Amino acid sequence: MSVKQQNTSIFKTLISVISDTLLVVKHEFKTMFKDRGVVIMFVLAPLAYPILYCSLYLNETLTDVPIAAVDCSRSQESREFLRHLDGTQNVKITSHFSTLSEAKQAFDNKLVHGVIYIPNDFSKKLNTGEQANISIYCDISSFMYYRIINQASNNCVIDMNKQVQVKRLNAIGITGESAQIISNPIPFDGQILFNEGAGFASFLLPAILMLIIQQTLFLGIGIIAGTSRGENKFHVLVNSTVHRGRTIRVVIGKSICYLLMYGAWSFFILGVIPRAFNLPHIGLPLDIIKFMIPYLLAVVFFSMTVSVFLPHRETGMVVFLFFSLILLFLSGVSWPQSNINWFWRTFAWIFPSTCGVQGYIKINTMGADLHRVTFEYVSLWIQTALYFATTCWAYRWQIKKSSKKQLLLEEISELDNNL
Amino acid sequence: MKRMVSRPIYFISSVLTMAFCYVFFFTFFNEGQPNKMPIGIVDLDNSALSRQFVRNLETTQQAQIVMYPGSHKEAREEMQEGNIYAFVEIKHNFASDAISNRRPSITFYINDSYLIAGSLLLKDITYMSAATSIGMQRKVLRAKGMDESRIMGIIQPVVLNTHLIGNAWANYGTYLLNVILPGILQLMVLLMTIFSIGVELKERTSREWMATANNSMFAAVTGKLLPFTVVFTALGIICNMLLYKYMHYPMNSSIGWMYLTTFMFVVASQAIGVLLIGITPVLRDAVTLGGVFGMLGVTFAGSTFPIEQMPRGVRIFSDFFPIHHYFNIYVNQALNGVAISNSLISFLFLLSFIILPFFVYNRLKKAAINQNFPIK
Repeated sequence: MSVKQQNTSIFKTLISVISDTLLVVKHEFKTMFKDRGVVIMFVLAPLAYPILYCSLYLNETLTDVPIAAVDCSRSQESREFLRHLDGTQNVKITSHFSTLSEAKQAFDNKLVHGVIYIPNDFSKKLNTGEQANISIYCDISSFMYYRIINQASNNCVIDMNKQVQVKRLNAIGITGESAQIISNPIPFDGQILFNEGAGFASFLLPAILMLIIQQTLFLGIGIIAGTSRGENKFHVLVNSTVHRGRTIRVVIGKSICYLLMYGAWSFFILGVIPRAFNLPHIGLPLDIIKFMIPYLLAVVFFSMTVSVFLPHRETGMVVFLFFSLILLFLSGVSWPQSNINWFWRTFAWIFPSTCGVQGYIKINTMGADLHRVTFEYVSLWIQTALYFATTCWAYRWQIKKSSKKQLLLEEISELDNNL
Repeated sequence: MKRMVSRPIYFISSVLTMAFCYVFFFTFFNEGQPNKMPIGIVDLDNSALSRQFVRNLETTQQAQIVMYPGSHKEAREEMQEGNIYAFVEIKHNFASDAISNRRPSITFYINDSYLIAGSLLLKDITYMSAATSIGMQRKVLRAKGMDESRIMGIIQPVVLNTHLIGNAWANYGTYLLNVILPGILQLMVLLMTIFSIGVELKERTSREWMATANNSMFAAVTGKLLPFTVVFTALGIICNMLLYKYMHYPMNSSIGWMYLTTFMFVVASQAIGVLLIGITPVLRDAVTLGGVFGMLGVTFAGSTFPIEQMPRGVRIFSDFFPIHHYFNIYVNQALNGVAISNSLISFLFLLSFIILPFFVYNRLKKAAINQNFPIK
């Protein structure tokens, strides 16, 4: 065989591979847009979910949380303190009571989320140089209430302490610079990095956005696979009339189609949404793009592998939807990753979202370079390779099953004809 | 009507899912609070005093020092890689400045991209820094010959006592599990309700289904959903027992109220399920709707981020979610232990969900008999 012939034959194979793949892409796009369920998952959900969640968590922190004051001291000092507290952005004193039990009543009726209690010896103790007490009672139905009320009153107490300290030192003859030094010998300063306002949305939403990408893609692919299984007369996943039995072409063709869709969605969800809703976005766009390539690939192949085992189109939804919540915790954003036990940490690694969320937050919220997230980046490529292999294996198995059934059917009909 | 047993998805979904969730969440949050989270120290001074401070930090409950980066830049990079959640920087000449009254400062950096870890560490490190400062003050005042009894009055004139109502210790699991688990239960009830009715319509078996119930929609739906009510209520009550008996989460009134609430909560969720499949008698669409509703429920319960601090426009929707009322009753009864009359309105809300299916009664009946909706 001459070199020329060889070349043409390679060329021909290449052409056939490409045309086959394109055929699969075209077919997949067609099925996608014909099916309302898929359109909902692939178009409506990635559009609506990010906007919905961002508007729900629009307020980053709590403002003017209503609290009640029980001022038994009724002194200038106590009033001063309450005024100071009321002036903070986070809490608002909405009612005054003379006893704790009255305040408890207001709390039980959910009119206030905290009570601040100043005992009647407050002013006396302050003036005689003793330690005075202030008590707060916090609603802990939400972690946020507790954090905000505690922080606001703590800051006010610290400020008051500084003033009183200087006064008391002055009284015993220590004045000026040395009073300052004694009242605060080692100043400390806590700096909050990356999420400076300690905002709830800036903390949670980046993780949710990454999860939305994975979950809608996963459920969408699940619906497509479940449907073709349900509708195909041989009850198999791959429609053999379109795909000529070459597994890799089918797999690549389908995944190209999903990738095109979700490349665009990633731009919207990770590029537009954070800017529109003022979420953190200090990462280099190029790094995010480079990171998203293995993430999307891993998610697509992971979903395709699992989808082979879904018998009906609704099964994925019914069985796996709750898993989104579990994945959120496994990603180690709210409960710190360092405190997840080894079993669940290993389990979490199976899902692309874990590395995806961590890597995205590190790049996008903390401004890390791509090489700072090497672990996540390499993991996603390993997952891509692994799930690509499992997808091919699962699809080949399906295709074989389908062609076997078809052969059997043809033989039967031939037999019928012969008879 | 006795189809429940024949399809494995029913049982797999209901029982296995909930069982998995119980195991997952209880093993995941078994610490109660994240302890010993990794932090770093940039100790540029490396003196006896700075090491003393570091040793103090080691004793805190929430922080564990895992590394000593050589510079601010290095520490920041470790933080970006997620290896530490916070670091403390002690400058050169810390000790000598302290001794010569030049007020050396301690700066610490907290990563609030992980808000929970960040807030807890902020609290602990602030406390320790203040304690170090106080230790210094005490030393100076003693040196000045001040009376021991008056020292505290100068160091800390006002003491703040924080009380957590209903829960003596701030256990993170308490905040979460009391919402997440009912949230998942609501999601599963919704999906199962929609699925069990929708599958009759999809597979065109709804006429036989109606015939078994003597063509009474009411009997058909009730008969179909009753077994689920029993199973899910049982699962919910198991959840209550795990939370309040096994984990000893706060329960400041009779646990019976929570059992009752769980039962009403399951029925209310089923009612919403029937409403949704009635609105779109197409299995696929209704399942999607149910999924969206169920997932939003976790947000709308009002635990993670309080409802009243959400934008006005979305606040009103919270009343449409049974879990919101469940959560209110839980806060009132289990957490705060207030009089049951305070929860009456929430009970009424839960009860009122039962009328929802009647709005779609005719539509669903027609759909079941005419089978005029697409199956996919």
